[in-house]
Amino acid sequence: MGWVSSGDDRDSTIGELAELVAPFDALYASLWTQQHLPADILELCRLRLAQLHQCSVELQRHEIKMSAEKYQRLAFWGEDSVFSQAERACLAFTEVYAMDVQALTDQHADAVKMHFGDAGLVLLVEALGILDGMTRLSLLWQLTANAEQPNAPGQLL
Amino acid sequence: MGGPRVINTNTSSGNLIRDSALGLVPETLDYYLALNRKIWECGPLTPAEIEIARLRNARTVNCVFCKSVRYDIAKADGLTEDKIAMIQDDFRDSDLTEREKLIIAFTDQFLNNPSGLTAELKIALLAEFTSRALVHLSLAVAHFSGFSRCAVSLGGMPDELPTMEISLPQ
Repeated sequence: MGWVSSGDDRDSTIGELAELVAPFDALYASLWTQQHLPADILELCRLRLAQLHQCSVELQRHEIKMSAEKYQRLAFWGEDSVFSQAERACLAFTEVYAMDVQALTDQHADAVKMHFGDAGLVLLVEALGILDGMTRLSLLWQLTANAEQPNAPGQLL
Repeated sequence: MGGPRVINTNTSSGNLIRDSALGLVPETLDYYLALNRKIWECGPLTPAEIEIARLRNARTVNCVFCKSVRYDIAKADGLTEDKIAMIQDDFRDSDLTEREKLIIAFTDQFLNNPSGLTAELKIALLAEFTSRALVHLSLAVAHFSGFSRCAVSLGGMPDELPTMEISLPQ
Protein backbone atom coordinates (compact mmCIF):
# COMPACT_ATOMS: atom_id res chain seq x y z
CA MET A 1 0.00 0.00 0.00
CA GLY A 2 1.23 3.47 -0.83
CA TRP A 3 1.00 6.43 1.54
CA VAL A 4 -1.25 8.68 -0.54
CA SER A 5 -4.38 6.58 -0.19
CA SER A 6 -5.57 3.15 0.88
CA GLY A 7 -4.96 1.95 -2.67
CA ASP A 8 -2.14 -0.48 -3.30
CA ASP A 9 -1.68 0.09 -7.02
CA ARG A 10 -2.04 2.84 -9.61
CA ASP A 11 -5.69 2.17 -10.45
CA SER A 12 -6.90 2.06 -6.88
CA THR A 13 -4.90 5.17 -5.99
CA ILE A 14 -6.31 7.17 -8.90
CA GLY A 15 -9.69 5.71 -7.94
CA GLU A 16 -9.54 7.87 -4.84
CA LEU A 17 -10.60 10.73 -7.13
CA ALA A 18 -13.46 9.17 -9.07
CA GLU A 19 -14.00 12.22 -11.28
CA LEU A 20 -10.65 11.71 -12.99
CA VAL A 21 -10.72 7.94 -13.44
CA ALA A 22 -12.69 7.79 -16.69
CA PRO A 23 -10.89 10.64 -18.49
CA PHE A 24 -7.49 9.33 -17.45
CA ASP A 25 -8.32 5.76 -18.47
CA ALA A 26 -9.69 6.93 -21.82
CA LEU A 27 -6.55 8.91 -22.63
CA TYR A 28 -4.25 6.13 -21.49
CA ALA A 29 -6.13 3.53 -23.53
CA SER A 30 -6.02 5.73 -26.63
CA LEU A 31 -2.24 5.60 -26.62
CA TRP A 32 -2.31 1.88 -27.33
CA THR A 33 -4.90 1.91 -30.09
CA GLN A 34 -3.83 4.87 -32.23
CA GLN A 35 -2.45 4.31 -35.74
CA HIS A 36 0.72 6.42 -35.74
CA LEU A 37 3.16 4.41 -33.64
CA PRO A 38 3.03 0.63 -33.15
CA ALA A 39 1.94 -0.29 -29.65
CA ASP A 40 4.78 -2.76 -29.21
CA ILE A 41 7.32 0.01 -29.81
CA LEU A 42 5.50 2.19 -27.30
CA GLU A 43 5.69 -0.65 -24.80
CA LEU A 44 9.46 -0.89 -25.35
CA CYS A 45 9.75 2.84 -24.65
CA ARG A 46 7.56 2.56 -21.55
CA LEU A 47 9.70 -0.26 -20.18
CA ARG A 48 12.91 1.61 -20.96
CA LEU A 49 11.58 4.58 -19.00
CA ALA A 50 10.85 2.22 -16.11
CA GLN A 51 14.38 0.86 -16.29
CA LEU A 52 15.91 4.32 -16.29
CA HIS A 53 13.74 5.37 -13.34
CA GLN A 54 14.44 2.02 -11.63
CA CYS A 55 10.72 1.56 -11.08
CA SER A 56 9.94 -2.09 -10.30
CA VAL A 57 6.18 -1.53 -10.31
CA GLU A 58 6.20 -0.28 -13.88
CA LEU A 59 8.54 -3.08 -14.93
CA GLN A 60 6.01 -5.61 -13.68
CA ARG A 61 3.25 -3.98 -15.71
CA HIS A 62 2.59 -5.41 -19.16
CA GLU A 63 0.56 -3.32 -21.56
CA ILE A 64 1.46 -5.34 -24.64
CA LYS A 65 2.66 -8.92 -24.84
CA MET A 66 6.18 -8.96 -26.22
CA SER A 67 8.90 -11.49 -26.89
CA ALA A 68 10.95 -12.46 -23.86
CA GLU A 69 14.06 -11.87 -25.94
CA LYS A 70 13.33 -8.16 -26.33
CA TYR A 71 12.47 -7.77 -22.67
CA GLN A 72 15.74 -9.39 -21.70
CA ARG A 73 17.84 -7.32 -24.07
CA LEU A 74 16.11 -4.00 -23.71
CA ALA A 75 18.81 -2.45 -21.54
CA PHE A 76 21.29 -3.17 -24.32
CA TRP A 77 19.14 -2.05 -27.24
CA GLY A 78 21.89 0.12 -28.67
CA GLU A 79 24.15 -2.80 -29.42
CA ASP A 80 21.64 -5.56 -30.11
CA SER A 81 20.45 -6.42 -33.62
CA VAL A 82 17.19 -7.84 -32.27
CA PHE A 83 15.93 -4.25 -32.29
CA SER A 84 14.92 -2.70 -35.60
CA GLN A 85 16.06 0.72 -36.78
CA ALA A 86 12.62 2.10 -36.02
CA GLU A 87 12.73 0.73 -32.48
CA ARG A 88 16.21 2.11 -31.97
CA ALA A 89 15.16 5.56 -33.11
CA CYS A 90 12.31 5.61 -30.60
CA LEU A 91 14.43 4.18 -27.79
CA ALA A 92 17.19 6.70 -28.43
CA PHE A 93 14.63 9.48 -28.25
CA THR A 94 13.17 7.99 -25.07
CA GLU A 95 16.51 7.80 -23.31
CA VAL A 96 17.38 11.44 -23.93
CA TYR A 97 13.83 12.45 -23.07
CA ALA A 98 14.13 10.69 -19.72
CA MET A 99 17.48 12.21 -18.84
CA ASP A 100 17.09 15.78 -20.11
CA VAL A 101 14.30 16.76 -22.44
CA GLN A 102 16.16 19.97 -23.30
CA ALA A 103 18.98 17.84 -24.76
CA LEU A 104 16.82 16.37 -27.53
CA THR A 105 18.09 17.35 -30.96
CA ASP A 106 16.63 17.65 -34.43
CA GLN A 107 18.51 14.47 -35.25
CA HIS A 108 16.66 12.53 -32.55
CA ALA A 109 13.36 13.83 -33.88
CA ASP A 110 14.25 13.25 -37.54
CA ALA A 111 15.19 9.64 -36.81
CA VAL A 112 11.71 8.98 -35.41
CA LYS A 113 10.00 10.92 -38.19
CA MET A 114 11.86 8.91 -40.81
CA HIS A 115 9.89 5.86 -39.73
CA PHE A 116 6.64 7.28 -38.36
CA GLY A 117 6.23 10.78 -39.77
CA ASP A 118 5.30 13.96 -37.95
CA ALA A 119 2.25 12.43 -36.29
CA GLY A 120 4.32 9.51 -35.04
CA LEU A 121 6.74 11.88 -33.36
CA VAL A 122 3.89 13.84 -31.78
CA LEU A 123 2.32 10.65 -30.50
CA LEU A 124 5.64 9.51 -29.08
CA VAL A 125 6.25 12.71 -27.11
CA GLU A 126 2.65 12.83 -25.94
CA ALA A 127 2.85 9.22 -24.78
CA LEU A 128 6.24 9.65 -23.14
CA GLY A 129 4.80 12.52 -21.12
CA ILE A 130 2.04 10.32 -19.76
CA LEU A 131 4.21 7.24 -19.27
CA ASP A 132 7.01 9.20 -17.61
CA GLY A 133 4.44 10.87 -15.37
CA MET A 134 2.90 7.58 -14.30
CA THR A 135 6.33 6.10 -13.61
CA ARG A 136 7.27 9.07 -11.45
CA LEU A 137 3.97 8.78 -9.58
CA SER A 138 4.49 5.07 -8.91
CA LEU A 139 7.78 6.01 -7.28
CA LEU A 140 6.46 9.07 -5.45
CA TRP A 141 3.41 7.17 -4.18
CA GLN A 142 5.81 4.44 -3.03
CA LEU A 143 3.78 1.68 -4.65
CA THR A 144 5.43 -1.69 -4.24
CA ALA A 145 5.93 -4.45 -6.77
CA ASN A 146 4.01 -7.67 -6.29
CA ALA A 147 6.46 -10.04 -4.63
CA GLU A 148 4.59 -13.06 -5.97
CA GLN A 149 4.74 -11.88 -9.56
CA PRO A 150 7.91 -12.48 -11.54
CA ASN A 151 9.67 -9.28 -12.50
CA ALA A 152 9.81 -8.40 -16.14
CA PRO A 153 13.13 -9.76 -17.42
CA GLY A 154 14.03 -6.39 -18.87
CA GLN A 155 14.57 -4.71 -15.53
CA LEU A 156 18.35 -4.95 -15.66
CA LEU A 157 19.92 -1.58 -16.24
CA MET B 1 16.03 29.17 -31.06
CA GLY B 2 15.75 26.15 -33.37
CA GLY B 3 12.78 25.63 -35.62
CA PRO B 4 9.77 23.50 -34.79
CA ARG B 5 10.33 19.81 -35.40
CA VAL B 6 6.73 19.27 -36.44
CA ILE B 7 4.23 21.59 -38.10
CA ASN B 8 0.48 21.26 -37.94
CA THR B 9 -0.77 22.95 -41.11
CA ASN B 10 -4.43 22.56 -40.11
CA THR B 11 -4.55 25.43 -37.63
CA SER B 12 -7.82 27.19 -38.09
CA SER B 13 -9.88 26.25 -35.05
CA GLY B 14 -8.68 29.07 -32.81
CA ASN B 15 -8.14 26.52 -30.06
CA LEU B 16 -4.61 26.76 -28.65
CA ILE B 17 -4.24 23.01 -28.21
CA ARG B 18 -6.11 21.79 -31.28
CA ASP B 19 -4.05 24.12 -33.47
CA SER B 20 -0.79 22.94 -31.93
CA ALA B 21 1.17 19.89 -33.05
CA LEU B 22 -1.05 17.77 -30.80
CA GLY B 23 -3.72 18.28 -33.45
CA LEU B 24 -1.82 15.87 -35.68
CA VAL B 25 -2.98 12.99 -33.49
CA PRO B 26 -6.77 13.30 -33.36
CA GLU B 27 -7.12 9.84 -31.80
CA THR B 28 -5.80 11.16 -28.49
CA LEU B 29 -6.65 14.86 -28.70
CA ASP B 30 -10.20 14.85 -27.36
CA TYR B 31 -9.20 12.58 -24.48
CA TYR B 32 -6.25 14.84 -23.72
CA LEU B 33 -8.44 17.94 -23.61
CA ALA B 34 -11.10 16.16 -21.55
CA LEU B 35 -8.58 15.14 -18.90
CA ASN B 36 -7.14 18.66 -18.84
CA ARG B 37 -10.59 20.15 -18.23
CA LYS B 38 -11.36 17.66 -15.46
CA ILE B 39 -8.09 18.45 -13.72
CA TRP B 40 -8.99 22.13 -13.63
CA GLU B 41 -12.69 21.82 -12.92
CA CYS B 42 -13.03 18.74 -10.71
CA GLY B 43 -11.32 17.75 -7.55
CA PRO B 44 -10.55 19.35 -4.23
CA LEU B 45 -7.70 21.69 -5.17
CA THR B 46 -8.62 25.21 -6.23
CA PRO B 47 -7.64 26.63 -9.64
CA ALA B 48 -5.15 28.95 -7.92
CA GLU B 49 -3.49 25.97 -6.20
CA ILE B 50 -3.38 24.00 -9.46
CA GLU B 51 -1.83 27.00 -11.22
CA ILE B 52 0.94 27.20 -8.62
CA ALA B 53 1.86 23.57 -9.34
CA ARG B 54 1.64 24.15 -13.10
CA LEU B 55 3.88 27.21 -13.01
CA ARG B 56 6.41 25.49 -10.76
CA ASN B 57 6.60 22.62 -13.24
CA ALA B 58 6.88 25.04 -16.18
CA ARG B 59 9.76 26.80 -14.49
CA THR B 60 11.66 23.59 -13.72
CA VAL B 61 11.14 21.94 -17.11
CA ASN B 62 11.83 25.36 -18.65
CA CYS B 63 8.94 25.39 -21.06
CA VAL B 64 8.86 29.02 -22.18
CA PHE B 65 5.33 28.71 -23.46
CA CYS B 66 4.02 27.15 -20.23
CA LYS B 67 5.82 29.79 -18.15
CA SER B 68 4.20 32.61 -20.09
CA VAL B 69 0.64 31.35 -19.76
CA ARG B 70 -1.80 32.29 -16.99
CA TYR B 71 -5.10 30.46 -16.77
CA ASP B 72 -7.92 32.96 -16.31
CA ILE B 73 -9.74 30.71 -13.85
CA ALA B 74 -6.71 30.78 -11.58
CA LYS B 75 -6.55 34.56 -11.72
CA ALA B 76 -10.27 34.72 -11.01
CA ASP B 77 -9.61 32.44 -8.06
CA GLY B 78 -7.28 35.06 -6.61
CA LEU B 79 -3.83 34.13 -7.86
CA THR B 80 -1.89 37.36 -8.36
CA GLU B 81 1.34 38.12 -10.20
CA ASP B 82 2.85 39.06 -6.86
CA LYS B 83 2.19 35.55 -5.62
CA ILE B 84 3.39 33.99 -8.86
CA ALA B 85 6.66 35.90 -8.44
CA MET B 86 7.20 33.99 -5.19
CA ILE B 87 7.39 30.63 -7.01
CA GLN B 88 11.18 30.88 -7.07
CA ASP B 89 14.15 28.98 -5.64
CA ASP B 90 13.69 30.73 -2.31
CA PHE B 91 9.94 30.06 -2.08
CA ARG B 92 10.34 28.66 1.46
CA ASP B 93 11.24 32.15 2.71
CA SER B 94 8.37 33.80 0.85
CA ASP B 95 4.93 34.91 2.00
CA LEU B 96 3.26 31.94 0.34
CA THR B 97 1.07 29.96 2.73
CA GLU B 98 2.36 26.71 4.16
CA ARG B 99 -0.16 24.85 1.98
CA GLU B 100 1.16 26.59 -1.14
CA LYS B 101 4.73 25.83 -0.13
CA LEU B 102 3.80 22.16 0.24
CA ILE B 103 2.31 22.17 -3.26
CA ILE B 104 5.64 23.42 -4.59
CA ALA B 105 7.60 20.92 -2.50
CA PHE B 106 5.47 18.05 -3.83
CA THR B 107 5.94 19.28 -7.40
CA ASP B 108 9.70 19.51 -6.89
CA GLN B 109 9.77 15.99 -5.48
CA PHE B 110 7.93 14.65 -8.52
CA LEU B 111 10.25 16.46 -10.92
CA ASN B 112 13.60 16.07 -9.22
CA ASN B 113 13.59 12.93 -7.12
CA PRO B 114 10.33 10.97 -7.10
CA SER B 115 11.87 8.00 -5.29
CA GLY B 116 13.44 10.12 -2.57
CA LEU B 117 10.46 11.38 -0.60
CA THR B 118 11.48 12.09 2.99
CA ALA B 119 9.40 11.07 6.00
CA GLU B 120 9.27 14.71 7.03
CA LEU B 121 7.67 15.87 3.79
CA LYS B 122 5.33 12.89 3.73
CA ILE B 123 4.05 13.69 7.22
CA ALA B 124 3.59 17.35 6.33
CA LEU B 125 1.66 16.50 3.17
CA LEU B 126 -0.62 14.06 4.97
CA ALA B 127 -1.31 16.62 7.68
CA GLU B 128 -2.34 19.27 5.14
CA PHE B 129 -4.05 17.36 2.32
CA THR B 130 -6.70 14.67 2.07
CA SER B 131 -6.05 11.59 -0.02
CA ARG B 132 -8.30 13.01 -2.72
CA ALA B 133 -6.33 16.25 -2.76
CA LEU B 134 -3.02 14.40 -2.98
CA VAL B 135 -4.26 12.33 -5.92
CA HIS B 136 -5.56 15.50 -7.56
CA LEU B 137 -2.22 17.23 -7.09
CA SER B 138 -0.38 14.15 -8.34
CA LEU B 139 -2.35 13.84 -11.56
CA ALA B 140 -2.19 17.58 -12.17
CA VAL B 141 1.58 17.67 -11.83
CA ALA B 142 2.03 14.56 -13.99
CA HIS B 143 -0.24 16.04 -16.66
CA PHE B 144 1.52 19.41 -16.69
CA SER B 145 4.94 17.79 -16.71
CA GLY B 146 3.96 15.72 -19.73
CA PHE B 147 2.62 18.73 -21.57
CA SER B 148 5.69 20.86 -20.87
CA ARG B 149 8.06 18.10 -21.95
CA CYS B 150 5.97 17.57 -25.06
CA ALA B 151 6.23 21.24 -25.98
CA VAL B 152 9.99 21.28 -25.38
CA SER B 153 10.51 18.03 -27.31
CA LEU B 154 8.79 19.35 -30.39
CA GLY B 155 11.18 22.31 -30.64
CA GLY B 156 10.64 25.83 -31.90
CA MET B 157 10.44 27.29 -28.41
CA PRO B 158 11.33 31.01 -28.35
CA ASP B 159 13.73 32.32 -25.73
CA GLU B 160 10.94 34.27 -24.08
CA LEU B 161 7.31 35.18 -24.51
CA PRO B 162 5.12 37.86 -22.96
CA THR B 163 2.71 36.80 -20.26
CA MET B 164 -0.64 35.84 -21.75
CA GLU B 165 -3.90 34.95 -20.10
CA ILE B 166 -5.87 32.07 -21.59
CA SER B 167 -9.10 30.27 -20.93
CA LEU B 168 -9.36 26.54 -20.47
CA PRO B 169 -9.05 24.96 -23.95
CA GLN B 170 -12.23 23.13 -24.94
